[in-house]
Amino acid sequence: MGITEKILCSSTHEYLLDNEDGTFTIGLTDYAVEQLGDIVFLELPEVGTEFKKGESFAAIESVKAASEIYMPISGKIIEINEHLVEAPEELNQDVYENGWLVKVESDADAAEMADLMEYEDYKESVK
Amino acid sequence: MTKETYLHEKHIALNAKMVDFAGWHMPVQYKTTIIEEHNTVRNAVGLFDVSHMGEVFVSGKDALKFLNSVVPQDISKLAYEKAVYCQLPNKNGGLIDDLIIYKLGIKDYLIICNASRLDEDLNWLVRNKRGLDVKIDNQSHNFSLLAIQGPKAADLMRKMGLNTNQDSFTIKAGEVAGIKVLASRTGYTGEDGWEILVENEFSEYLWDKILEAGQEFGIKPIGLGARDTLRLEAALHLYGNDLDEDTTPVEAGLSWSIPKDKDANYNGKAVIMEQLANGGRKKLIALKMRDKSIARHGYDVYFNGEKAGHITSGGPSPTLGENIALAYVKNLKEICTDTVVQVMIREKLHDAVVVKKPFVSKRNKVKGE
Repeated sequence: MGITEKILCSSTHEYLLDNEDGTFTIGLTDYAVEQLGDIVFLELPEVGTEFKKGESFAAIESVKAASEIYMPISGKIIEINEHLVEAPEELNQDVYENGWLVKVESDADAAEMADLMEYEDYKESVK
Repeated sequence: MTKETYLHEKHIALNAKMVDFAGWHMPVQYKTTIIEEHNTVRNAVGLFDVSHMGEVFVSGKDALKFLNSVVPQDISKLAYEKAVYCQLPNKNGGLIDDLIIYKLGIKDYLIICNASRLDEDLNWLVRNKRGLDVKIDNQSHNFSLLAIQGPKAADLMRKMGLNTNQDSFTIKAGEVAGIKVLASRTGYTGEDGWEILVENEFSEYLWDKILEAGQEFGIKPIGLGARDTLRLEAALHLYGNDLDEDTTPVEAGLSWSIPKDKDANYNGKAVIMEQLANGGRKKLIALKMRDKSIARHGYDVYFNGEKAGHITSGGPSPTLGENIALAYVKNLKEICTDTVVQVMIREKLHDAVVVKKPFVSKRNKVKGE
């Protein structure tokens, strides 16, 4: 099963991968990164910070513009992709395997994820 | 209604990412990246569609007198086939636009202006005719403008039949690929190159021919994204960001372009002359960020713990691998080259150092061989 079959996507272009151990991996969709173009800067939060669903937790900049990245669920940051902060341009190659942004611990239930879309539906929604 | 240039279909066929810019549907980048397009212009040659820009022909017995009354530059010193960078000030010295004026004949001039300001410029020019015998003829809809920019631009233009024995900041009638054009050795990138004015009906043919002939020089079509990073590195102003009606040319760092000894009166002359002598209320400074953060348009600039101004243009410099910006700050003598100021980025202050303009040396001063 490919990763895009396992993720859920938000209308603000974040994806959420359930690691099935109470933790989730969060990143930006391939569509979002393609739209941004050359990624030149990434700012991630400190491990241990808690965010509510919908809060801005990170910033990303392409050559053209700065954008914020929002939490698809509430949770506590348990790991950040430090390598990506040093080499944000690698996001342009891959957003899923090595291009994830943060891992969070969360007890979010189905209701909190009700607005998230399956990848295929998300792709339809941005057409 | 968003307007399209005569090259619109070419951009779509090249899979360009399109955006609305100044009322025009324009390519922001093609099927590469902005950084790759940027480097193509710095290292080889790039082709831009800048047909959205305005072309206004000014002619008649009083054409010179008229132009001299609307710009600070001395048009009486502009020789045949020469070009001069000008501004269009209002009565307070604030800028309605910046433009290039070309002398095409004894009583014939061409103004090339910003697409976003064409309507305001035309209104202003007509209001300032004051009974003079002058014809203001907006021909923007009849002409396409193609920019060929980069160190290989001269090789390419020579190959295509243009006589490249031409100084920078001059305009000559010539032929490119057998098409009659007006060839201006100017640009908005800091590189050598041409802006080729051609009648709309020949623009698609010329676009294709230039891309074809440019293959051996590594040519690529270049979008507005790289146009912006290139002009920022060269510290060339973008109207709407770095220039507006509340900013005088002195404040914008354009004093070098204003003669002190021009006899003719022009709009805003008193303010501009006073500021040339005593300085403006604010000044444009160039900044380099000291960390990896990026200053963007609108961010606040702090000096000694107090808000001192704001960023007008900012972003990464692909050539330098650093993040650069232009900002207006209070006209304090303490803020000068090497001064450290701070930029507020996402509620945190980041150090930036004042540097000399331009960020990347220009290579656009060329003598015809």
